[in-house]
Amino acid sequence: MAESPIPGSILQRAMMPGAGQTYERDKMETGGRMNNDELDRILSKQDDIQPSSGFAASVMEAVHEEASAPPPIPFPWKRALPVLIFAVLALAAVVAAGAVGIAQFGRNVTPEAASSLWDLLPPYLHGPAGTAAAWTAASLLAAFISVKLSLRLAGGRV
Amino acid sequence: MAITAADDQLAVERVLAGDIPAFEGIVRRWQSPLVNLAYRFCHDRGRSEEMAQEAFLRAYRNLKQWRKEAAFSTWLFALATNFYRSELRRIPVHVPIDDIHEPADPRAQDGGLEAKDRDRAVRRAVFALPEKYREALILFYFHEMDVPAAASSLGLPEGTFKARLFRGREILRGKLPQLLAVSRLKEA
Repeated sequence: MAESPIPGSILQRAMMPGAGQTYERDKMETGGRMNNDELDRILSKQDDIQPSSGFAASVMEAVHEEASAPPPIPFPWKRALPVLIFAVLALAAVVAAGAVGIAQFGRNVTPEAASSLWDLLPPYLHGPAGTAAAWTAASLLAAFISVKLSLRLAGGRV
Repeated sequence: MAITAADDQLAVERVLAGDIPAFEGIVRRWQSPLVNLAYRFCHDRGRSEEMAQEAFLRAYRNLKQWRKEAAFSTWLFALATNFYRSELRRIPVHVPIDDIHEPADPRAQDGGLEAKDRDRAVRRAVFALPEKYREALILFYFHEMDVPAAASSLGLPEGTFKARLFRGREILRGKLPQLLAVSRLKEA
C-alpha cells in the first residue's frame, strides 16, 4: 500500500483556477459567513516545513543513547513488601486502638473516666517531663527504624 | 520515494529484534509528517522539531505496543498527536488574538480586505478556538480532510470527531467577522 507522507493533494485542489471565486457567492448565500468549502480551501493551504538536515541524525543519537542506557532499577518489592505489610498492620492497630479508646471514652465521659484513662499510662509518663521523654524516645525509635529500613532497602542487608 | 506499509513493518521487526539502526529508516520516512504535524500545532519551527524528536523517542520505547491491526502510520500519528497535545497543554502556544473587539458592522468592513489577509486571519482564528475544536480542525486538515484518519489520530469515535469539527467550524465562522475587522484596523 503506497502512502504519501506529506499531505499535498488538497493544496493542488485548493490552488485550482476558480477555487477562490466561490467566496463572493458564498458570502451572498450565507450572509457574510464563510461556508465549509471556503474554510476548507483556506485551512488546507498550510505552509509545510522541511525538517533540518541534522534532524534524523539527532533523533538517532537520542535513540542510541536510550538503547545504551541501563534499564531502570525495578522497585525492590521483595524487600519492601514485609515492611509495607508491617506498616499497614501497625497503622491498622493504631487506628483500631484509637477507635476503641474513643468508643470507651464516649461511653464514660465523666471526669473520673478521663482521669482513669490517664492512669492507665505508666507513672513515669505523668507530668510534662515524662511526656517529653516519651515523645523523644518514640522519635528516636522511629528514626532508628527508618534508617534500618532504608539501609535494608538500598543495600540489601538484613 | 514510495512508502509502503511493508517497509514500516519490516523496519519495526528489525528494531524489535535488536537492530537499532533500522529505526533510522522509520525516522527518515516519517520525519517530515511528524515535524509538520507538530508545526501545525505550535507554529514554531524549533519547537516542532523538538516535539517530533520526542515523539520518535516515545515511538521507539513503545514499538512493542504497535499491534499491527492498524497501519504503522496510524499508530505513529496517534502517539505523536497524544504527545503534542499534552506538550501544548504543558506549555501553551500564544497567538496574539485576544485583542478582538466587536466592530460596528463587520459585514460592511470585510469587503475590501485582501484575500491573503483574510486567509491569515482565518488560520489565526483556529488558535483562538477551544482546545478540542482546535485539535479537530488541525488534524482534519493535516490528514487532507480524511475523517477516519483524523479521528483515529485523536483517539476519538468518528461521530464525536465530526461533531467537534462541525462545532469548531461554527465557532470559527462566528469569530471571523471580528477577526477581519481587526485585520483591517491594524492595516489602517
